[in-house]
Amino acid sequence: MSAITSPARQASSGMHARTINRIVIYGLLALFAIFYLMPLFVMLVTSFKTMDEIQNGNMLSLPHAPTFAPWVKAWSEVCSGLTCVGMKGYFWNSIKMVVPAVLISTLLGALNGYVLTKWRFRGHTLVFAMMLFACFIPFQSVLLPMATILGSLGRFGVTLQNATGFNFGLGNSTVNLVFVHVVYGLGFTTLFFRNYYEAFPTELIKAAQVDGASFFQIFRRIMLPNSLPIIVVTVIYQFTNIWNDFLFASAYAGSGDVMPMTVALNNVVNTSTGVVEYNVNMAAAMIAALPTLIVYVVAGRYFVRGLMAGAVKG
Amino acid sequence: MAFLEIDGLKKRFGSVEILKGINVELEKGGFLVLVGPSGCGKSTLLNTIAGLEQITEGEIRVDGRAINDLHPSKRDIAMVFQSYALYPNMTVAGNIAFGMEMRGVPAAERQAAIDKVAKILQIGHLLQRKPSQLSGGQRQRVAMGRALVRDPKLFLFDEPLSNLDAKLRVDMRIEIKRLHATTGTTIVYVTHDQIEAMTLATKIAVMRDGEVQQFGTPAEIYNNPTNIFVADFMGSPAMNLIPAKIDGNGSGLSVVLDRESRQPIVLPMPGAPAGLAAFKDKQVIFGVRPEALTDPEGAERNGSEIATADCHIEVVEPAGSDTFAVTNLGGKGVVARLRADARIQPGTSTPLAFNLSKAVFFDPATEKRIL
Repeated sequence: MSAITSPARQASSGMHARTINRIVIYGLLALFAIFYLMPLFVMLVTSFKTMDEIQNGNMLSLPHAPTFAPWVKAWSEVCSGLTCVGMKGYFWNSIKMVVPAVLISTLLGALNGYVLTKWRFRGHTLVFAMMLFACFIPFQSVLLPMATILGSLGRFGVTLQNATGFNFGLGNSTVNLVFVHVVYGLGFTTLFFRNYYEAFPTELIKAAQVDGASFFQIFRRIMLPNSLPIIVVTVIYQFTNIWNDFLFASAYAGSGDVMPMTVALNNVVNTSTGVVEYNVNMAAAMIAALPTLIVYVVAGRYFVRGLMAGAVKG
Repeated sequence: MAFLEIDGLKKRFGSVEILKGINVELEKGGFLVLVGPSGCGKSTLLNTIAGLEQITEGEIRVDGRAINDLHPSKRDIAMVFQSYALYPNMTVAGNIAFGMEMRGVPAAERQAAIDKVAKILQIGHLLQRKPSQLSGGQRQRVAMGRALVRDPKLFLFDEPLSNLDAKLRVDMRIEIKRLHATTGTTIVYVTHDQIEAMTLATKIAVMRDGEVQQFGTPAEIYNNPTNIFVADFMGSPAMNLIPAKIDGNGSGLSVVLDRESRQPIVLPMPGAPAGLAAFKDKQVIFGVRPEALTDPEGAERNGSEIATADCHIEVVEPAGSDTFAVTNLGGKGVVARLRADARIQPGTSTPLAFNLSKAVFFDPATEKRIL
């Protein structure tokens, strides 16, 4: 054996080690990917199977005779509690809640971030710190106080109804949920936008001021058009959180035809009359998960990028 | 009455005084350069003129009207920023027209104004591009276009050339000077580059620590600096500031420059300033610019007060157009500016001509000029 290792051999052993490293890394990544994708796969295949196939077949096998019947049933026939009209009504309830709540909280967060970075006032850091506090409050602790506030708003709505003939949406369950989600989303949306605008060149605002643009003109014409990455991040974050929320939904709109999707899905799965229709349950769950999946697929690219931008410049 | 008048302007942030009583004025069509090291308050002063910073005391008048309480957009000014501050989401045309749009100028009129400015600055082919698709020099032009299109009473430039490379900076400097000459606008310009200040200005205000050290024409600032700071800051290479002693023997005064191992140089000063007599047998700072310290053949023939002395040359720097030689006088390295073809070797002694009519003296205690 030679005392000196030849350079060629060194190089080849280096290559060898690198290949093994690669195999280990990709192997682990693949393992975790399978681990996370497995439930989704099971849900998808099950939702296209007939009940016979589910009871007799393998959970992981592909459907022999794919059928859309469970999806149709989940959408328009399945029973949630005692009413059997499908998920479609609850799906629209969720949409009616999530769209305004996301838009309002994002817009207010952007406005807060704009003021906290470009129109600084005495004590702006204190205000920001207090808004950040909203991110750390456990939501369980606000359930009762918020119920009291919503109750008062509802009574005020009745008063308005008597006085003017119109209650301005006060007391409506969907409006209540929008209000709650806007209030508790504001801490996060403000944090996102403040960190993004912190790195936004102040000279642009000065130039716009010299050009004669007002406070809101600068916001609308200069800030917002240059905030796409952080808007995408905020919208995804808020959309996912609000759509998936179960706690507030069950507490403030937990019964009847005002239920959002999450509460309705829970009721569907818990309704026990005869055989549990796994395929219908899976289809209903897929319907509930679909909007967030779509949002991620469409805008996920920006999500990672924007989150990073916010993170480094904090 | 001057066109732009800044009168006793003070600016405080809490207890810190950033601007300590600025008095400056500029005639219509003039070019005022605010120059000084970073942190001297020159950008703050410009921002107060623009209205982007509030002032604590004093008054700013443009064309006889006090503007210090007006909103920036009401002051009839335009500003070019260091980073150009072009709106990234708008095209070049949109950027130029944004101010007019905010003031509700009709679209046809806006288009005519854009075309006119684009022609002056030769950016017609760039109008539909976004700022991210432009080079540094093109962005600079667009930023100037955005200011020009306003046709304001006053232009403010905040270090507009400091983000450009050296060659482009010289080109744009000439362009700005040409623009000033052809349009006859009144300009206030901030820079830390003393060459920009000298070449562009009709008036210079040299600032330090929130105070104007000297205010005057470029020639006044260069030839008659009021104190050591101005003398040292303006000019490249900087003025030689040599510790010296004043000697008086009978009729006149002379300057004695120490040299480490050799006899001191004694330069007779028949045309010494009157104040110098009080410094007889005392230490002063003797200021002489490199071009007033040269080889005898290159010295001004008709200069009235040329004195020649042998100097030991330590370093020679040929710069193409000139040759700089470094010698040691009064314990300091002193730069002489010689003709490019001067035959000179480091480590030898060579006669250097002092043009004493260009020399200035400073009091080492107060750092003020001795007149």
